[in-house]
This record gives sequence, structure tokens and C-alpha cells, in this order.
Amino acid sequence: MIQLNNVWFRYGSEWVLRGVSLGISRGVTVILGPNGAGKTTLLKVMGLLLKPLRGEVILEGVNPWSVGGLLEARRKVVYVHEKPILVRGSVLDNIMLGLRIRGVGGMEASTIAMRIARMLGLDGVVESNARSLSAGQAQLVSIARAIAVKPRAILLDEPFAHLDRDKRILVSKILESLAFNQGTSIAIATHDTLLAAKIADKAYYMEDGTVSIMDKDSLYELV
Amino acid sequence: MTELLETTFRSLYISGTATLLAGSWSIPLAYMLSSRPGLRPVSHVFESLVGVPTVLIGLLLYLLLSRQGPLGFLNLLYTPQAIIIGEAILVTPLLVGISYRVLSYSVNTYGELALSLGATERQAMGIAVSQALPGLIGALVMGFSRAIGELGVALLVGGNIKGYTRTITTTIALEVSQGELFDAVQLGVVLVSIMVVTSLTLRLVRGVSE
Repeated sequence: MIQLNNVWFRYGSEWVLRGVSLGISRGVTVILGPNGAGKTTLLKVMGLLLKPLRGEVILEGVNPWSVGGLLEARRKVVYVHEKPILVRGSVLDNIMLGLRIRGVGGMEASTIAMRIARMLGLDGVVESNARSLSAGQAQLVSIARAIAVKPRAILLDEPFAHLDRDKRILVSKILESLAFNQGTSIAIATHDTLLAAKIADKAYYMEDGTVSIMDKDSLYELV
Repeated sequence: MTELLETTFRSLYISGTATLLAGSWSIPLAYMLSSRPGLRPVSHVFESLVGVPTVLIGLLLYLLLSRQGPLGFLNLLYTPQAIIIGEAILVTPLLVGISYRVLSYSVNTYGELALSLGATERQAMGIAVSQALPGLIGALVMGFSRAIGELGVALLVGGNIKGYTRTITTTIALEVSQGELFDAVQLGVVLVSIMVVTSLTLRLVRGVSE
């Protein structure tokens, strides 16, 4: 689905990604690593939000940065920020945002958003002001917003950071279900090695801007 | 009393128009600066110009608009329009500086969110600006407060002509020079009241929009 070949990226003079090559495909891919390793930048490059300074990002066989079609390519991938970003308005407005951006009508968008909200246990707060939510609820809203647009790939940056145990299990089950029933490619950057070991089909370890693939055994050794 | 009201409304009109005029170029300029990281140093230049003395801007504009100046043919000196232009120039660095900070955050946060959800560049800009709206209104209110409280521009290019270019601040200066301190204080109270009301309006707008 997404392939990175020898990708380099820097902020100012500091290189954050140093020749990263990896691929994510159908299933759940987990990216582990310490703070500052470059996981967020890596996900943003995969999500076509940052253009690599060197190397290439191939999405379904095409490099959208060089051959064009960036908008169409971006609509296949959704990046979910580590710190939930909610726009002014209700929870429902936020879940519908991606759908409305893509031109889905109000009624249809509302129906889809309500279904996703129910799935994530947010149906009781859909009319609430989004900015009055707890950190965990806000996290769920941003995950719901990504799921609502049915992308081919969802890239989640620390999605379990603000969630309690029950919600972690719920979200991980939903993500697994998306991966296996709808063929969605899921990439998760996380510190939660236990959960990662449970749901990962493939795992990478990232440090100082470089990645290495991990097998299941070494993943469990981290737990 | 009639003269006081007239002067107050004239000040509101001049400073309000100057603020809107400055906003019409400052906010688009701030958006351009915030969406192009390479232009960041330009925003620093504007920030450093926030404290430019009003009397200096008044003097420069006087030299431009006076009969012998390069823009003398426009016959704008000692007109309300001259004060509007001067105050618009005066508040531009403030508006650009505040709007730049507000829009930088909004473009980086909401603009990126919109792009990640599949927005076009234009849609992302619309979402970033709409989320920045309370901050931009705040910038305009601060610009208005700066404009209505300034004296140098209004005095130098307005000329303090009774019934035509006299504003609250130029009237205060005149009253003090004539020893009419009570009248000057009255006008000072009006000026402060306007600033307090605009500040409260800002809080109200922010509260409603949140």
C-alpha cells in the first residue's frame, strides 16, 4: 500500500529521517521507538503531509510527489494526530469534517458519523461542544473522524495515549476489524509495547531517524 | 454635548475605517507569511515596527501629503482621509504581527488536519482561517484601540480642524493647552470607555465562538 524508499527528511539542519525504507500493507503495522526517534515525522511523510527531501514515497505503485495526483493520493490515507485536533462545533461536526470536505451531503455525512460514533461509544456526546471533551473522548473523536472517510490506510500517532483500558481494547479491536474485514492498512506509532505485541502483523523499531524490522519474538522481549 | 458626541463619532468612524483598511491588507499578508516558512523574517520586521512613534508616521505622511510633497496633488492633507491613511499605516505592523501568530498556529494545526482529511489547498486555507477567526477579530480590536488612542498622526495630518478633523485625542491636547483640564478629563473618560467596551466585545465574541 505505502512504500518508503531511502527517505530523508530534516527540520532546519537536523535530520529526522535518515534513509528510511519500509512498507505497510493490509493489516496492522506498529512502529515503536523512544521519544524523538522520528515516528511522527515518518507517519506524516507516509501520509503525504511532508515531502521527503530525498527518497520516494510510493502509494499503490505511484509516487504522487513526482507524477501528480497528490489530492487523490492524500484522500486514500488519513493521519491521526497524537494530540487530538478538534475544530469548533459539536462532536458530530468533527466526525463529519472529512466527509464534508470530500463533498458528502449533510444528511448522509450525519448518518455515517452517527454510526461511527455509536461504534466508538460516543453516541451520548455527539451534540456536545467538541472542545468540552476529555482528552480520551477527543482522541476517540479524531479516530472516528478518520474511520468515517473509509481511507485505504490510517496512520495513527500514539492513538492509545489518552485512553483507559476498556477504550484501548475497543479501539484496537476496531482497528483490527478494519484491517481484516475492509482491507485497510493500519500503521500505529506507539509506546504501548504490550498492545503492539497483541495486534501487530508487522513491527518496526525506530531510533535516531532509522528503522529496523522486528520479528514477533523481539517484540515480546520488549514487553 | 453635541460637539462631544460629534467628536466621539468622528473618532470612531476614522479609527474604525483605518482598522478595517489595515485589516484588508494585513490579514492576507499575515496568511501569506504564515504559510511560507521562508518568509518568517518578514514577520519579525513587522513585529519590530509595532512601537514606531505615531508622531514619526504623522511627520512622514505630512511630508508626503503637503503641497510640495510627492502626493500633494491629492489634496488630502488636513482631511479625515489623511488621518485614516496614517492610522491604517500605524496599526499595520500590529495587525500583521498578531495575525501572523494566530494564523501560523492555525495553518500548522487546522490546515494540516484538513489536508490529512483530503482537503484541497483552498479548503485547508478556509478551515485554517475560520478556526483563526476569534484571534483575528482580537487583532482587529487591538488595532482599533491603538488607532483611536493615538495623537501624533491625527494632529499632524488632520490639523485638529473643528467640526472636520478634530478627534477625541486632539481635543484632549487642545483642552490641556487651553487649561480646560476638566473637559480634557471628561474626554479621557470617554476614550477609556470606548477601549473598555471594545475589549469586552472581544471577550464576548471569543466566548460565543468557543
